[in-house]
Parts: sequence; C-alpha cells; structure tokens
Amino acid sequence: MDDFMGVLQRPDFIDNLILHIEYLLLATLLGIVIAIPVSVLVNRSDWASTFAINVGNVGRAVPSLAVLVLMFPVFGLGFDSALFALTLLAIPPIMINAVVGLRQVSPQILDSAKGMGLSGGQILSRIQVPIAAPIIFAGIRTSAVQVVASATLATFIGGGALGDYIVEGYQRNNTAIALAGALSVAVLAIITEVGFAGLERAFTPKGLRIAQKRGRARK
Amino acid sequence: MDSQDPPTAILAFLQAEFATGEQKKVGLIDWEWLRDNFMEDVVPALFQHIYLCFISLAIAVVISVPLGILAARYRWLYPWLTAITGFFYTIPSFSMFTVLIFVIGLSVGRTPAIIALVLYSLLVLIRNVVTGLDSVPPETKDAARGMGLTDRQILFRVELPLALPVIVAGMRIAIVTVIGIAVIGAYIGAGGLGDLIFDGITRDFPTLYITGAVLATLLAIGSDLLFVRAERMLSPWARRSRGAT
Amino acid sequence: MIEFKNVSKTYAGSDRAVVNDLTFTIQNGEICVLVGPSGCGKTTSMRMVNRLIEPTQGEILIDGQKNTSMSGTQLRRKIGYAIQQIGLFPHRTIASNVATVPNLVGWDKERTASRVDELLDLVGLPPDQYRDRYPAELSGGQQQRVGVARALAADPPIMLMDEPFGAVDPITRDRLQNEFLNIQQDIKKTIVFVTHDIDEAIKMGDKIAILKEGGILAQYDTPENILANPTSDFVSSFVGTDRVLKRLSLVRVRDMDLEPANGGDNLPRISDKLTLKDALSEIIGAGAERGLVVPDGNGGNPRGTLSIDAIKALSHEAEVSSG
Repeated sequence: MDDFMGVLQRPDFIDNLILHIEYLLLATLLGIVIAIPVSVLVNRSDWASTFAINVGNVGRAVPSLAVLVLMFPVFGLGFDSALFALTLLAIPPIMINAVVGLRQVSPQILDSAKGMGLSGGQILSRIQVPIAAPIIFAGIRTSAVQVVASATLATFIGGGALGDYIVEGYQRNNTAIALAGALSVAVLAIITEVGFAGLERAFTPKGLRIAQKRGRARK
Repeated sequence: MDSQDPPTAILAFLQAEFATGEQKKVGLIDWEWLRDNFMEDVVPALFQHIYLCFISLAIAVVISVPLGILAARYRWLYPWLTAITGFFYTIPSFSMFTVLIFVIGLSVGRTPAIIALVLYSLLVLIRNVVTGLDSVPPETKDAARGMGLTDRQILFRVELPLALPVIVAGMRIAIVTVIGIAVIGAYIGAGGLGDLIFDGITRDFPTLYITGAVLATLLAIGSDLLFVRAERMLSPWARRSRGAT
Repeated sequence: MIEFKNVSKTYAGSDRAVVNDLTFTIQNGEICVLVGPSGCGKTTSMRMVNRLIEPTQGEILIDGQKNTSMSGTQLRRKIGYAIQQIGLFPHRTIASNVATVPNLVGWDKERTASRVDELLDLVGLPPDQYRDRYPAELSGGQQQRVGVARALAADPPIMLMDEPFGAVDPITRDRLQNEFLNIQQDIKKTIVFVTHDIDEAIKMGDKIAILKEGGILAQYDTPENILANPTSDFVSSFVGTDRVLKRLSLVRVRDMDLEPANGGDNLPRISDKLTLKDALSEIIGAGAERGLVVPDGNGGNPRGTLSIDAIKALSHEAEVSSG
C-alpha cells in the first residue's frame, strides 16, 4: 500500500496523468472538429450519409492497438503518432451518431420549418442540431471513454501517459506500480463517462426530455 | 526509421504496402520473411485469435440470454444489470487485465483474457436481448396465448425467434469489440494476433507488427460483415415486407 | 388573390406530369379546398404556392405579383403553413413554437408575447396553462390547435393547410373544423386547404377544386354547384352517390320557408340550427312526415313545420335547374 501511494507521489506521475488528460481532450476535440462538419456536409444526401455511416462502422471495427502501431511507421515514436491515432479512433463514434442524429429529425418537422420560411442554415442550427444534441453528445461520450482506454496503449509506441506504469508493473512484476497505472486509468475513464453523461443531459432540451419520458411511460 | 521525417516515411510505407510480387529487401515489409514464416507464425496466431474471441463470445451469449430474459420479465433487474455490466464496459481493458492478474491473482495466460472479453460483451448482449424481446408486439404474444401456447412455448417459439435479429446485432457489436481487445490480451499471454504486434515492437521488426495489425483489422471488419449477413438472414420477414412496399 | 396560370409540374426523370396545366383563381378571404384521390397532385399544387416545390411550367401570382419576385424563405414567412403531422418543434415550448415566424421577421418581444397569448386564446388553449408546456405534453387535438396558431402567428394574409385536422379522431376533427370556420369568419384569410376527404371539402370550402390523377383540374366551383351539377362522371363518382344528401347538409333548417305550425304538438321537434340532412334523419327516425321547428336551445315558440316533401322539392328543384 505504501508502494502504491509512493507511485502516485512520484513526480513523473502527475506529468503522465496530465499527458493522459491531454490525449483525452485533444483527441476528442479534434474528433469533434473533424466529424461534425463532415456529418453536416453529408446530411443533405442519402447516399453520402449511408456512405459516412458505413465508413464509420468500418472505422469503429479497427482494433485500437492496430491503429496505434500502424501510425508508428508513419510518424515514428512519440506523442504525434499517439495523438494522430487517438484522433482517428475518436472520429467514428462521433460521426456515426451525428449523421444518424441529424437525419432522424422527422421529415414533417423539417417540412414545417421550411414551410414557415426558415433558411437552410436556420433549420440546421435551430431545429436539427438541438434535436440531435443528445445523440451527438452520446457519440462524443463514447469516443472520449474510448480515447482514455486507448491512450493507455500509447506507451507501446513511446507515447507515454498512464500506461507506462502498467507496463512497468508487469516488467518489474510490481503490483503497486501496475495497479497505480491501472486504477488511475480506470478512475479517469469513469470520471469521463460520468462527466460526459452529465453534459449529455445538460444539452438535452427540456422538451425532448419530456418527450422521452412520455415515450417510455407509454411503453 | 523513427528518425525519418513524415513525408519520406509515408512514401516508404506506401511503397512497402503496395509492393507487387517482386521481392524487396528494403522497405517496411520483408515479403520474403512473410512468405517463409506465414504458415508457422502468422496462421497459428490468426487461428488462436479467432478461437479466443469466439469462445469468449459463446460464453458471453450463454450468460447474457438467460439474464436478458429475466431482465425483460422482472423489470427491476434491468437497471442493476446495465449498471454493473456498464461499469465493466467502461473500465479500460489494459486496466481490467491488470486487476484480474494482480488483484484477483489469476495467472498470466488465456483465462484472464477470456474473463475480461466476456465481461466486456455482457452489456451489449443483455441490452439487445431485452430490446429484442421488447420489440415483439404484444398482439403477437396475446394471439399466441389465445391459441393455447404456454409461457414457455411462447418464449421459445415466438419471442426468441422474433428477437433473434436484434440479439445477433448485439453479437455483432460484441465480436468487434472482443477482437480489438483480444489484441491487447497478447500482452498478458493470451496469444493471438497481438503476439505478432508485441513481438514486432520488441524486435523492432515492422513486418511483424504491421501484419498483426492489418490481420486484426481485417478479422474485425470481416466478422462485422459476417454478422450483418446473419442478421439479415435471420429476419427474412423484414426483407420481404420492405420488398413489398 | 392567388392565381394559378397554366401551372404544370413534372419531376426530373419522369415523363408523367403530377400537376397538369392548372389554371384557376382563389379570391381573397376564401377557403379553396383542393381535393382528390391520392396521386392527384393536390399537395404538390399547394406546395408550389410557397415554393416548397417549383413548377416546371406556368406561374403563380399572389395579388398580381409573381411568387418568384422574392426569395423562397422571404415568401414563406409571409404565408402561414400548417400540415397534418403538425411538425411542432419538440424541443421548444408551445409559446416558442407559435412565435417562430414573428421571431424570424424580427418582432419585438412584447409584441410577440402578446400575439402568442392572443392566438392561444383564439384556438382555445388558455395561455397561462399552455404557454410554457412542450408539444409532448399535449394531446393530438391540442397539438393541431397549436399548429394552426403557429401558422397564423405573423398574421399572414394567406394560409396553406395540408390536412391540418387529419391526425385526430372524427369527433375532435369535427370540433376543430367548426372552431376554425368560426375563426375564419373574423380573420378572413385566403386559404388553400388540402384534403382527400370530400365531406371535409364540402364543409370547409367556399370553393372546391377537384383534381384527378395526373394533376388535372376536373371541376372548380362552389360546393353547392359541384354537388348539384357535377360536370363529369369522375366528379359525380368522387362526390359519391349520396350527393343529394350531401347537398342537404349544406342547407340549414333556419334558411327554409316553413309552413305554419298548427296543432303540431305530437310532431318531432327540430332545432332550426340543424342541417336539412340531420333534420330529415330526425323526421324519418320519428316515423313522421313533418317536424316542428323550434329555435336553437329548444326553449322558444315553434317557428313552423318542415315536411319531407318540402325537402324533397328543394333537392328536386336544384336538380332540374342544374340538369
């Protein structure tokens, strides 16, 4: 137990924790910045939307360790490789959910919005995005949690972060070090999950929450 | 090669990836090695991986279907099941392996890997079993009861067959997750394609880890497509009614 | 005034027109009902007025001006729009839904708020109770009222309504129709109203445009004239073999010349508010030859009697005059 606390107090621990959080925030943010505009672009065409969803599904199937090691020959060891790989991993869930979310707004709602004279941009920003917000945030949450987990593997391509301790623990067969890494990552993952679930709720318009509740009650 | 600047590296990578039949000594992929060692090293790793993943999925299905049936019937159980399995699902796999080995005290090898893979599959599978059963229209169940089927017969002859496509959709998500995580399992001695990756990294031999990564990707995408197929085959009524309109 | 001038619509990749050389004029303050079987292009015709669909040929004039003289979104903000599935925005309150167009065209807050309250009152939803609710908290009928209020919000002179009362049960529909007709007496909008239901068309329309498959105008006239004088087999079969009875439902007892009421104590009592069709049903139902007409509410003195023969004579007379 002393060893365990000892690891947490090592000066490099806080650095690696910050690095892990950096991966989380940067990769998720880059994922959003790339996936959302693409989703908006494909939104107008059935064909492009289906294509984007299929690409997303294939992307989601690629094992995270495979993405990381395939970046390695391209960008070499280190932070850049890891961040690039983690961003690639963050894109599919956000993109799939954003495409599906924007498209599931019912055609009648879109028709009456258009019929009342909302412009294309107004329909997107005032109608589609707020209605799709909960689904888009669910995608972001999935991505964020996945980035926390995958950032643990950055250690294998010299990307550092909390995975370093797990590997060190195995190599030295040291329980305290391995658990310090494993548990801190687990806690970070849970905090991310809970935090983003909170965001999701905060961004669900009240009218939709009521509609969801009614829908469930009717079942 | 880690000192190469990105553009040259990409070029080298592409050259190596798309090299034709002619042998190349330079480049990322040592095709000669690959040809010579394919049967001894690569194929067994692939089969180990498939075995590991499908056995885990099978165990997870055997656990999830009864739990899902119970949760569909006794509703109070459902939030508890999703909370617990959702917790497992959130724990990063590398952490999970570590806890199973260092805290629970399992020895390194296949066992902790299979346990972790099963735990990861439960959330999706149970959720889809319940959703699938929920999607059976009450009129259908009522008609079955009206024709004199017992609850047990209704479950096996009406509800489960109708829920099957949704359950298979859950298996599809589960198998893709499991294939990805099993790659990491090689680090704790579970074998499979991850072995090629970790060996390749240790020996600084790109051929090995690229082969591992590419095969793992193809296996995941292939399984995904396989289950999409299965899902369609199992719901012929959906196809027909779509064709009719 | 809305003028359709040789309007046709053919979709790209199809050689069959969905709307075919449509020419007719809708006068200000009138409800014009577009009615016909599915595939007759009635919704397409309506949607060309506010340019949700652009015609391939011809033009539509609004008060003498081409509807292409301004941008589509500008045009739509000046035309009320209500559809069957209502299309309320689920993430916005009732007040915010109704305020959509006023907000778009930049009304100030106070004016918008008081307009919203006024409209909710008008459609029978007390504003204090409904203003801050969400669509999911309302019944289907209430949602349709909000849909109508939303279409009326910026006081547009023209309204387009596509089966606006289609998604509710028949009793609620009847009530909503009556309420809307009452509202229309005050607001006098020019309304293009689409329905597939000939009874609704007869009830709601000042004019009815009957369209047949391929978007061809089969007849355009008042309900009375269409029922009395269908110009083709298609129209007479579309309005139904009970068109004589339907015509009776256009005339109310109070509009008839009555015979004096002497000693009619054992006759069935008929409110003067009933339509002739309902009155006929009452008389036959009571096994009588005539009924005693009393003012609505059943309280006042009898105003006279109405006989089956008088009703028969009326329908015969119209038949002959039109035949």
